[in-house]
Amino acid sequence: MRGRGSGVAIIGCAQSQVERHASVTLGALTVDTARRAIDDAGLEVGDVDGFVTGALFPTAGAHAVEDGVSTVTSNWLAMHLGTNPRYAAGFQGYGQIPGAVALAVNAITSGAADYVLFHRSLYNPPGSYHGNPMRGAPGPLQWTAPQGYFGPIAMIGLPYNEYLQRYGAKRETMAKVVVEARKHGARIPWSYWHDKPLTTDDYLAAPMINDPVCRYDCDIPVDGAAAFVFTSAERAKDHPHRPVHVLGYAGGAPTTHRLPLHWPLDDIMGIGGETARRLWEATGLKAGDIDVPQLYDGFSPFVYFWLEVLGFCPVGQAHGLVEDGGIDSDRPGGLPVLSGGGALGNGRMHGVPQMLECYLQLSGRAGPRQREHANVGLACHSSPHFGGVVAYMSER
Amino acid sequence: MTELTRPVPMPDERSAPYWEAAAGHELAIARCQRCRVLTHPPDTVCPHCHSTEPDWVWDRVSGRGAVRSWTVIRQSPLPGFAADVPFVLVDVELQEQLGLRLIGRLMDGPDASLRVGDPVTLAFEDIAGGVAIPAFALGVTT
Repeated sequence: MRGRGSGVAIIGCAQSQVERHASVTLGALTVDTARRAIDDAGLEVGDVDGFVTGALFPTAGAHAVEDGVSTVTSNWLAMHLGTNPRYAAGFQGYGQIPGAVALAVNAITSGAADYVLFHRSLYNPPGSYHGNPMRGAPGPLQWTAPQGYFGPIAMIGLPYNEYLQRYGAKRETMAKVVVEARKHGARIPWSYWHDKPLTTDDYLAAPMINDPVCRYDCDIPVDGAAAFVFTSAERAKDHPHRPVHVLGYAGGAPTTHRLPLHWPLDDIMGIGGETARRLWEATGLKAGDIDVPQLYDGFSPFVYFWLEVLGFCPVGQAHGLVEDGGIDSDRPGGLPVLSGGGALGNGRMHGVPQMLECYLQLSGRAGPRQREHANVGLACHSSPHFGGVVAYMSER
Repeated sequence: MTELTRPVPMPDERSAPYWEAAAGHELAIARCQRCRVLTHPPDTVCPHCHSTEPDWVWDRVSGRGAVRSWTVIRQSPLPGFAADVPFVLVDVELQEQLGLRLIGRLMDGPDASLRVGDPVTLAFEDIAGGVAIPAFALGVTT
């Protein structure tokens, strides 16, 4: 695919309302959203012969994982749409969105399927999202839970503090990341945070959870579903909307044996740098070519890490770029890294807002939020060292 | 209803020597008999030389090291920590081997002044009868 695109494009999509708790089950929400995406692409359910997702329910809690309730797999969705596809698969690993996009691309280019429905469904259980009443810590948990190192907020607290200490960054600067995400989320009708922007004062007054991480550095758990239809670039010409092509993708995973949830900053930046090199090699792109660089923000420090590994600024200088207004996308020259609201501005949709913003902007379907220059986009997901990124290009 | 207690480690065949040493307030780290490199926690395959027969032996180590990062836990998703918060967890690189990292409670309290590179020594949290969790304290000697 080097520099020439994957030969696969997105031809339609749908996004549910993002709510704290939906009035229907996650399975029903996903079936409705999938039907709308298939219709948006100008297809019937029977035309879709491939299904992909990454179905992880990303909780540290003791919640049951039940298909159609707390998670939705490809096979569950196909069955409940009443179809029997040639191909159904799930990506197992981190960076569920780029991982599952790669499954869709490979299914189409190999001939395993002609029209692939990609979906991602996220669930907010009743009660505490990560709360876990364990009395004993077995297996990998024995090394970290007994001392209280548990769950993703402590996980991100350590490398975020390493960043602050190493580069002399101020915690207060992160307000600009979260306020930017919420500013865009407030403009998005389906967002949980629609019409609810955040002020810097609100951010600074929020309770600390695991220093230096405060409440608003974390995305809020939600119920929501999104679906996208992929097909070959050749078939994509015959559908109602302007195709958005998958130019390439890259990912990475830790190479060093660590304690559970231990993500030292050097791991994030080292393996993350390799993820970026793979992306540029696969696509022939460079940072300056990207009109819509949608960075992952499930925890706010990821925005710094992605800015640096992708080369939007030198390593150690993302906080300075942000402090100077460099990611305020309403300013001329401001990088639109959170123009889709991200996870902080929509709710815990796990990389969906980044992918959706790329699709809407590059297909010219972003409505009043449409940006003038939107030909090349990146959709990042998870950590640069344990996740991935997809590059999209518009038909123009 | 008994009061909620902190999760206790559940030793298994591979980890039992670690917890036995900790109960006696000693820190033991697994060493691969093929490549002699220390690994924490021990894996089914040595992550350094990739031997499938690492035959881990447990070395007593000093527990002295340098702080690489820390976080102040003010809310915990686990039971039994309500009376403990806020507390500090430190990410420590042990002096025995470059890159050998442990995470534990800093026993100096939540207001301890910390900088990257600060030296720490070994400490323990005794959380139940015969159950001790390796931890750290600021300073160069015990």
